[in-house]
Amino acid sequence: MASSANSNQVPKLYRSVIEDVINEVRELFLDEGVDEQVLMELKTLWENKLMQSKAVEGFNTEEQAALQAAAQQQAQQAQQATQQAQTQQVLLPPQQQVTSWQSTRPTVTSAPQQQVIVQDPKILQHMSATGMNAATTAATLALPTGISPYQQLITSQGGNLPQTIYLKTVDGQILQVLRAANGTQYIIQPQQQMVLQQQVLPQMQPGGGQAPVIQQVLAPLQGGLPQVLAPLQGGLPQQTGVIIQPQQVILTGNKVQQNAQVMQMTGQPGQVQQIQQQVQQVQQVQGGAAPGVPQQQQQPPMMLQVDGAGDTSSEDEDEEEEYDEEEDEEKEKDGEDGQVEEEPLNSEDDVSDEEDQELFDTENVVVCQYDKIHRSKNKWKFHLKDGIMNLNGRDYVFSKAIGDAEW
Amino acid sequence: MAYQLYRNTTLGNSLQESLDELIQTQQITPQLALQVLLQFDKAINTALANRVRNRVNFKGSLNTYRFCDNVWTFVLNDVEFREVTDLVKVDKVKIVACDGKSSDYFSHSSLIIRPRLFLTQ
Repeated sequence: MASSANSNQVPKLYRSVIEDVINEVRELFLDEGVDEQVLMELKTLWENKLMQSKAVEGFNTEEQAALQAAAQQQAQQAQQATQQAQTQQVLLPPQQQVTSWQSTRPTVTSAPQQQVIVQDPKILQHMSATGMNAATTAATLALPTGISPYQQLITSQGGNLPQTIYLKTVDGQILQVLRAANGTQYIIQPQQQMVLQQQVLPQMQPGGGQAPVIQQVLAPLQGGLPQVLAPLQGGLPQQTGVIIQPQQVILTGNKVQQNAQVMQMTGQPGQVQQIQQQVQQVQQVQGGAAPGVPQQQQQPPMMLQVDGAGDTSSEDEDEEEEYDEEEDEEKEKDGEDGQVEEEPLNSEDDVSDEEDQELFDTENVVVCQYDKIHRSKNKWKFHLKDGIMNLNGRDYVFSKAIGDAEW
Repeated sequence: MAYQLYRNTTLGNSLQESLDELIQTQQITPQLALQVLLQFDKAINTALANRVRNRVNFKGSLNTYRFCDNVWTFVLNDVEFREVTDLVKVDKVKIVACDGKSSDYFSHSSLIIRPRLFLTQ
């Protein structure tokens, strides 16, 4: 259990220090001719960083307490909407035609083959049953909460042309999901830079069929927290095929890099046809793998693949090449057999301490002042005061600390 | 001048980072940032001395010790920190302790002897 005394004390103490400092430097700021607004900005930055660090519990300003309350309300509303949406979802086996429930869907085009996406702030499920693709399967797209769509516009063309699904996110951005004929899916989001990785985990359904379950890991580049969505289990239809192929998905910024699978995305729906033509070409070129996509993870990410990780071809090629090179270098350096599997000869030299003893990332630190340090043979006694401790990621304070240790 | 010891804490680091950001955007000068930090030193020292009233005990094994420039630095292993309410265990902890008897009040600034005029009449 958390220390009730200390965890009550620390936020208050920090808050009082912040107030003191800000008030004291206000004069300094004015003397330098710096605006009061900058001072407020300093305070805000400071408090935000403290909150982000999670070292202090319950560290909220009044405004943020109000914000949190508002956020909680929104979360509750979202949950209610989720429950409603789930009851409205219509899940059909893949071979069925969609015509029976066309009227109830918020579709845009009147094309005979259409897809239905039921509104769901957290989970997007859509069925596709085109006449041409008898083996078309329904996949469940689980989008992270940050891109929760509440409105979907669907266009599709028959035949081998890819199908486009537009998802409009809560904050107005347009997500485009292109599903090509062979099932590869791309999600293009022009506004944000995020790296989305999907993994397809085939799972056995009670009915006996295999339903692909998608796990997405969203790692926004701006330093947000990665979100992992639990795989969807309820409500998945009996499926045979899998739309989503194990490929990595990379969301792009405004630019698009040279990649066979990456398409120009300008953020306008009007470009869809152009993009789909490119997709056609890509399909021809595509050898069944994503040649450049995994490499691009280190460069500014452009494209979002929906079909999960597990690329083959080029990734292996590169790795093999690098591996060979390293092996050659090692052989030259060592001047012996230089096999990588053998232990290096110097492995038993020197007894060095292991550096990774901490369970957590933080090094546990205590900064304080000492009243008295005493030693008797190898028995040490510490009398410390006025300290701030960071242990296991949390902050503590003390006015006095007494300790014993054996050396 | 109070100890700058507490700048490397969550509170102090977040302040320094915030100040750095403002310097980057040229909203404040580095000189002003330094003044803020000095003010922070004073505030945190005062707060710890006056507003905190609790005791902690700890026990562990001493890995290393160092005493240099009147600063003790210890590294302890397998330590238990005990307060009245609860217990925190860590595998490794570093303790940095400045002299509690004399703070910098008596060191830096006072070493510059200011001439005093005795007016006698």
